[in-house]
Amino acid sequence: MAYRELIKSFARICDYMREFYVYGFKSRDEYSAKSARSYDNERRRIESWLGDRMAFRQDAAGKIVFLSVDSRQIPHNPLYKAFKAKSFTNKDITLHFYILDILADGRALSCREIVDRINDGYLSRFSGTFSLDESTVRKKLKEYEGLGLLRAEKNGREVLYRRTDGGPFPLNSWSDALAFYSEEDPMGVVGSFLLDKLDNDSDVFRFKHHYILHALDSDILCQLLQAIDGRRSVELTARNLRNGYGYRRTVCPLKIYVSTQSGRQYLLGYYYRGRRMAFFRLDAVKKVTINGEEKLYDTYLEYQTQFDRHLWGVSAGAGHSLDHIEMTVRVDPGEDFIVQRLEREKRHGTVEILDDRTCRFTADVYDASELLPWLRTFIGRIVELKCSDPMVTDTFHEDLRRMSALYGGGGDAVQ
Amino acid sequence: MLFSEIYGSYFNVVAAVLAEAAEGRLTERRLTELVQEKAFAESVLAIPAALKNGDWPLLGQNFEPVIRHKPTLPLTTLQKRWLKALLLDPRIALFAPDATGLEDVEPLYRPETFVRFDQYADGDPYGDEGYIRCFRTVLQAVREKRRLKLRFRSRTGARHSITCIPYRLEYSAKDDKFRLLAAGTRRDNVINLARVEFCELLEKYDPDSFRFPEKDLHELVLLLHDERNGLERVLLHFSHFEKETRKLDDHLYQIELRYDQEDETELLIRVLSFGPVLEVKAPAEFISLVKERVDRQTAHMFQTEGSVHL
Repeated sequence: MAYRELIKSFARICDYMREFYVYGFKSRDEYSAKSARSYDNERRRIESWLGDRMAFRQDAAGKIVFLSVDSRQIPHNPLYKAFKAKSFTNKDITLHFYILDILADGRALSCREIVDRINDGYLSRFSGTFSLDESTVRKKLKEYEGLGLLRAEKNGREVLYRRTDGGPFPLNSWSDALAFYSEEDPMGVVGSFLLDKLDNDSDVFRFKHHYILHALDSDILCQLLQAIDGRRSVELTARNLRNGYGYRRTVCPLKIYVSTQSGRQYLLGYYYRGRRMAFFRLDAVKKVTINGEEKLYDTYLEYQTQFDRHLWGVSAGAGHSLDHIEMTVRVDPGEDFIVQRLEREKRHGTVEILDDRTCRFTADVYDASELLPWLRTFIGRIVELKCSDPMVTDTFHEDLRRMSALYGGGGDAVQ
Repeated sequence: MLFSEIYGSYFNVVAAVLAEAAEGRLTERRLTELVQEKAFAESVLAIPAALKNGDWPLLGQNFEPVIRHKPTLPLTTLQKRWLKALLLDPRIALFAPDATGLEDVEPLYRPETFVRFDQYADGDPYGDEGYIRCFRTVLQAVREKRRLKLRFRSRTGARHSITCIPYRLEYSAKDDKFRLLAAGTRRDNVINLARVEFCELLEKYDPDSFRFPEKDLHELVLLLHDERNGLERVLLHFSHFEKETRKLDDHLYQIELRYDQEDETELLIRVLSFGPVLEVKAPAEFISLVKERVDRQTAHMFQTEGSVHL
């Protein structure tokens, strides 16, 4: 089939974009799971969409393609472009402009009347073979009703269609808000669609620590938000990110946990079969099927509130038992910012000033090993570290010994 | 649902083309320009041809539109529900958009649906009237290309008063803070908006003579030892930087990333957070900083004879 710039399915190109953006070290040959032609087509599409963001390198393994973006320097997430590349038929685009034009004066018309107007007032100007039958038009009217572009009204046995915009929406007053939320909000892709409607793009904002990859999971997130709003259970079709195995889970979706320090998003839901709270990474979820209303929704929400009190990140450890952890930190004169850091980063922990040179962070969490990366950010200041799980302190010491060896220190001095 | 052609670039471009055609301004050249400006790199091969050969019977032979009105599109239910959700966010007070048309719309989600579990707790005071006033003044100054007079306290508590050209507002979700990026008379400034005590709009400046200050970018070279899922964790964590990754062998990768010198300390602790999974190879000054902290920590542990398990 001839190459086309637009795509029918989102999933495959999404995988390539993720690879080019996050990893960016594979050559064409290393995309072995897919065919070479598939690789060439997807790469060409991504280049067409993101041209100036793509970079290339030639090395022994061949040509390496990657997406190189300093997201602090750009006003818009380039990955949103994938959502704007859905393929369509000639009839889709023609009907889109005809129907909205026919109803632009605010009138309500039946499908038959719309078909007549299309044939008499629009297609009659062309001598080609283009034709639109009533069932195609009816299907499009129903689709647009579902999207909220049209409203259906009963008139006896007839159904009349009218546009949903009585007057102009004051979108210009949203210009700065859209520029901000289209990047900051987890569903920002919707803001990007709205920005496309504006003539003047606000260029006021930039974003530091800006993770953009979540954009590719927006469709999954949108469905989960609808399920949460409707208090409905869902069936998740997911793929284990390490071994690739597929699995299904039926859960009551409760919250979306977002890491502002990695960009990862997780669904927290009550997993019925396991009778426990469970996290699911959104980029592992491939499909969401929304089921019926969950009558015990408030009960599960209360579980979540209790459960959250001892979470550090998104791990409940084994058996939801609690680990106790204490870190004592040295604060030199003029280093009040260390106490401020502890206060703002402590999450569910507590901070205690011991004397004018030391303070102590304490927490009871399900999985203290989740704290290890954060504890290491205090390397150079930790005077004491205690944990009820010996694996945590052992790992900390072992890592410190290895780091000391890496940088030419006397690693053996670390116990 | 999100992935629909009605949000697509092609539909937007064709709407723009028809709008120009309705005003009688469309020419062959302008058609190409619009496609190049609003669609993808290769769209110019597809869109003009489809409009001209009748595959999409929307334009007459002389580029006159077949439709009778300038194309407009109502907001979809999803768009309205998303906008309604934004109205519940405390930061919307900074913008105060016109909410007309959303009265009977259900929000797509509520703010409490999202838990930003690792966001810092000392975010900006979005409900504070002084803060809101200052934010809007800054926004207006950036938009209208006007100078600003500012009085603020630095991190150390010292008071400063400056006249500057504000050119961006920078937000960090991790810090939950806005920072004003401004060019001063003597130096460039990054000012936490919450520290601004007073701001006043001044005269317009000539945007043509203004040059955006350049960042002092440095290159950090890291070796990544892929263990404990380190490859994915590290690359995701640093994904917002401009970077290049090379595979050296099955479990060893080299990452080169460019960072702003002003963020060196922050980057240092982020590198430390990965422990021995990351090894700094350059620059030498950065290696010294890591070494100094590791040595200091080793000395602490040695002094206190290590830690005990509870």
